[in-house]
Amino acid sequence: MVDTTKNTKLFTSYGVTSSKAVNPDMVAKIISKAKRPLLVVGSGVLKPELLDRAVKIAQKANIPIAATGHSHIGFLDKAVDAKYINLHQLGFYLTDPNWPGLDGKGNYDTIILLEFKKYYINQVLSGTKNFSKVKAISIGRDYIQNATMSFGNISREDHYAALDELINAL
Amino acid sequence: MSKLTTGSFSIEDLESVQITINNIVGAAKEAAEEKAKELGPMGPTPFPGLETYRDDWNFKLLDRYEPVVTPMCDQCCYCTYGPCDLSNNKRGACGIDMLGHNGREFFLRVITGTACHAAHGRHLLDHLIEIFGEDLPLNLGLSDVLTPNITITTGQRPKTLGEIKPAMEYVEEQLTQLLATVHAGQESAEIDYDSKALFSGSLDHVGMEISDIVQIAALDFPRADPEAPLVEMGIGTIDKNKPFLCVIGHNVGGVTYMMDYMEEHELTDKVELGGLCCTAIDLTRYKEADRRPPYAKVVGSMAKELKIIRSGMPDVIVVDEQCVRGDIVPEAQKLKIPVIASNAKIMYGLPNRTDADVNETIEELKSGAIPGAVILDYDKLGEISVRLAQEMHPIREAAGVREIPSDEQLKAWVDKCADCGSCYLACPIELDIPEAMKFAKQGDFSYLENLHDSCIGCRRCEQVCKKEIPILSVIEKASQKIIAEEKGWMRAGRGQVFDAEIRSEGLNLVMGTTPGIIAIIGCPNYSDCAKGVYYIAEEFLKRNYIVVGTGCGSMDMGMYKDENGQTLYERFPGGFQSGGLSNIGSCVSNAHITGAAQKVAGIFGGRTMDGNLAEIADYVLNRVGACGLAWGAFSQKASSIGTGCNIYGIPAVLGAHSSKYRRALIAKNYDESKWKVYDARNGEEMAIPPAPEFLLTTAETWQEAVPMMAKACIRPSDNNLGRSIKLTHWMELHEKYIGGLPEDWWKFVRNEADLPLAKRADLLKKLEEEHGWEIDWKRKKIISGPKIKFDVSAQPTNLKRLCKEA
Ligand code: SF4
Ligand code: SF4
Ligand code: SF4
Repeated sequence: MVDTTKNTKLFTSYGVTSSKAVNPDMVAKIISKAKRPLLVVGSGVLKPELLDRAVKIAQKANIPIAATGHSHIGFLDKAVDAKYINLHQLGFYLTDPNWPGLDGKGNYDTIILLEFKKYYINQVLSGTKNFSKVKAISIGRDYIQNATMSFGNISREDHYAALDELINAL
Repeated sequence: MSKLTTGSFSIEDLESVQITINNIVGAAKEAAEEKAKELGPMGPTPFPGLETYRDDWNFKLLDRYEPVVTPMCDQCCYCTYGPCDLSNNKRGACGIDMLGHNGREFFLRVITGTACHAAHGRHLLDHLIEIFGEDLPLNLGLSDVLTPNITITTGQRPKTLGEIKPAMEYVEEQLTQLLATVHAGQESAEIDYDSKALFSGSLDHVGMEISDIVQIAALDFPRADPEAPLVEMGIGTIDKNKPFLCVIGHNVGGVTYMMDYMEEHELTDKVELGGLCCTAIDLTRYKEADRRPPYAKVVGSMAKELKIIRSGMPDVIVVDEQCVRGDIVPEAQKLKIPVIASNAKIMYGLPNRTDADVNETIEELKSGAIPGAVILDYDKLGEISVRLAQEMHPIREAAGVREIPSDEQLKAWVDKCADCGSCYLACPIELDIPEAMKFAKQGDFSYLENLHDSCIGCRRCEQVCKKEIPILSVIEKASQKIIAEEKGWMRAGRGQVFDAEIRSEGLNLVMGTTPGIIAIIGCPNYSDCAKGVYYIAEEFLKRNYIVVGTGCGSMDMGMYKDENGQTLYERFPGGFQSGGLSNIGSCVSNAHITGAAQKVAGIFGGRTMDGNLAEIADYVLNRVGACGLAWGAFSQKASSIGTGCNIYGIPAVLGAHSSKYRRALIAKNYDESKWKVYDARNGEEMAIPPAPEFLLTTAETWQEAVPMMAKACIRPSDNNLGRSIKLTHWMELHEKYIGGLPEDWWKFVRNEADLPLAKRADLLKKLEEEHGWEIDWKRKKIISGPKIKFDVSAQPTNLKRLCKEA
């Protein structure tokens, strides 16, 4: 088992460390408990190793994908429910209880985040952290302090292994 | 003698005394206001104050484009009550909440940027008036509307250098008022900070306009010239065999004296003169008509500052103001490069030699007795910098500091790497340095080489490396070969867009047949590769958008070549025309970009410009398809430039790093109540499509930015042909970069004529099947379905007061 909770060194020294380090088992549990979960993926997901894993997570957990940046192009021929939205826009809409969501059925309670530039996702999550109740779980390879929960800083290999564990646990 | 307009004093028993009063505080503005009364139609808001635009315009914008607050940290550390924890929008000890504090933080960025341009404008204005006198005419090229930003803001139409003074004084006065609101216990409402930020943005474009028009008028820059000459660009263009005088900053004042000195002493082919940032762009504009092609070179953007110093090539560095790194003196000292500070805004703690003897100063600098000097006398600056470069060249050559490190040194550095990963964690661009080091140890330097283009030369990696590896130098040494080939071409900044160009393109823009204006501006803090700006520009140019650029964006667009070895500036014409690529000029030339949109409203829309911001902005928002891109925006000035575009209804897309500005302006595309305007013909409400969807936001990758910008060029009043052209581009670009049809394309369709011609039948079918619209298939017509009605003569406006019935 990969320990994804060990290295939580901040990439930046400002702010408050509010993110709780999590392991893949815990993430699987949270996803299964969530009422309206959403997998949010950035353009970094376009590497084949990651794209496959993102697809598996969405399929096994049966959750829709918000494909930000130009990541949507990777999901065109995959059997998943992926819709494009700009990340900054998504971050804002998540703070509005009246947002109908990507499917018209309402806002989300839990978002799971994968493959972003750490500074970008961290900044967008500072908005959801302070102005909404949405639970944000980062499963990228960097520790994201403004998420509610996050993997620690891990190596690429450990990251792949952790995602596989997550897929198995779903 | 002119009559005294304000103040009072008495003089008794004086004989043969002549009193000269050059200026009386406030008098210039009063006189100007007097004069303005005699002028033509005047809008409702000449010389606005902090509150003037608030209710009539800013709050209308901010109601649709809501401030999106993403705090940088959860604390406020402003006053001695604190630091206070503001997380979850808590209030601090002074009573301000998280929203208010962050509104203040962003606002502070904007007024800082505004102050930079205004102060730059003041410096140039005073300097040029001193030399050329107040009566120098503002000859800016073929334009009647010389000063759109000044005119809209103050209601003035200055014709000479002297007549600009009231606008300058006015900006300075308002900036003081704005700065005061940052104090603890002042403004606390986020929305009011945003309104003030927008106001400051409008002032910023006045400050920039002043800076650029005075230099164009007095220093013979290109005057609205689409044929401005091509300038060589890139580190690779510097001739290492000559003494190299390197200038950095934004204020061309001092550089003109170096150029004059070089000409007078016939040194233009003996000394290399090149620069970074905006001074570089502007030195290629100086007395351009006499000098084509310019001999001065553009080294590149701010990202190259440390890189060029570390290369060891510069023999002297002269800095002026803005975007100049704080570590230039210690970095330059290591390589025996004397640094001259030529502007009181940056003095670096160096000894002031303004009044010293020129020869003595040169000796002091040459001997290394002082690492550099402040020289504020431009005549001396011109002489010292050029002479010193010539004298330092052999000295530095002999000391062996004119070349980057040896191969052995590189290997030794690489071998020291312990693969700890600290540099990866610290690098703002998230470059995988440890991986590149690993491959370099095995003799493969290509990974290091690949880092060069994205690396912004910030040195954060070196600060954290426990093995004390000079990582930036490692990257640059490994990239030696590509750097030597780093050569491009850029047009010297052309200045304003002239009225005839507006007249010939205005109709196309308003109707939408020219799909839009894409403005690529700003700094080099790119989130992906620097080449992104090239790809974006090329995509839009090939699709007949008008592309304009300024500052570092303009430079980076010219750094890349196609398969035939040609840069964008060589491939596309320099006019403000469909499929044209203009370099407008340095950062302060950004005022001409808003100016062009404003002129479309003024000249083409027939709106009174004078003192009439809301109506001009309203016209632009509803009719002029323009979108800015500040892909690497990092500075405070970039935030004020963007905010100035925003108040004029021009949306801007920024790179991912710019999320750190802490705020965006994004509309809720799903909230129909936000997408209504009035039809000025009768005052009735009309539904519009959700476009533009944002005024300020970020994109994750350049591929995402392209369709976002194409979409942001859609405007409520496009005619059918225009709408179908814009939809064609947006949908094709979405398909190409994001994949598939955009989810919301149908929201933009008012009738069948709006649909892209090539796909009309397919799309009609989708409308029927997926959205339940009724289609008359015989006539291929939409019978019912669209929420937005359209009538070519509709006059969309956000200002109720402009409606006939109002
Ligand atoms: S100098 Fe380059 S590699 Fe180093 S931290 Fe800055 S951007 Fe990253
Ligand atoms: S910080 Fe220094 S030692 Fe550590 S990985 Fe980077 S270059 Fe190597
Ligand atoms: S574009 Fe940005 S970095 Fe470049 S010179 Fe202007 S403000 Fe400075």
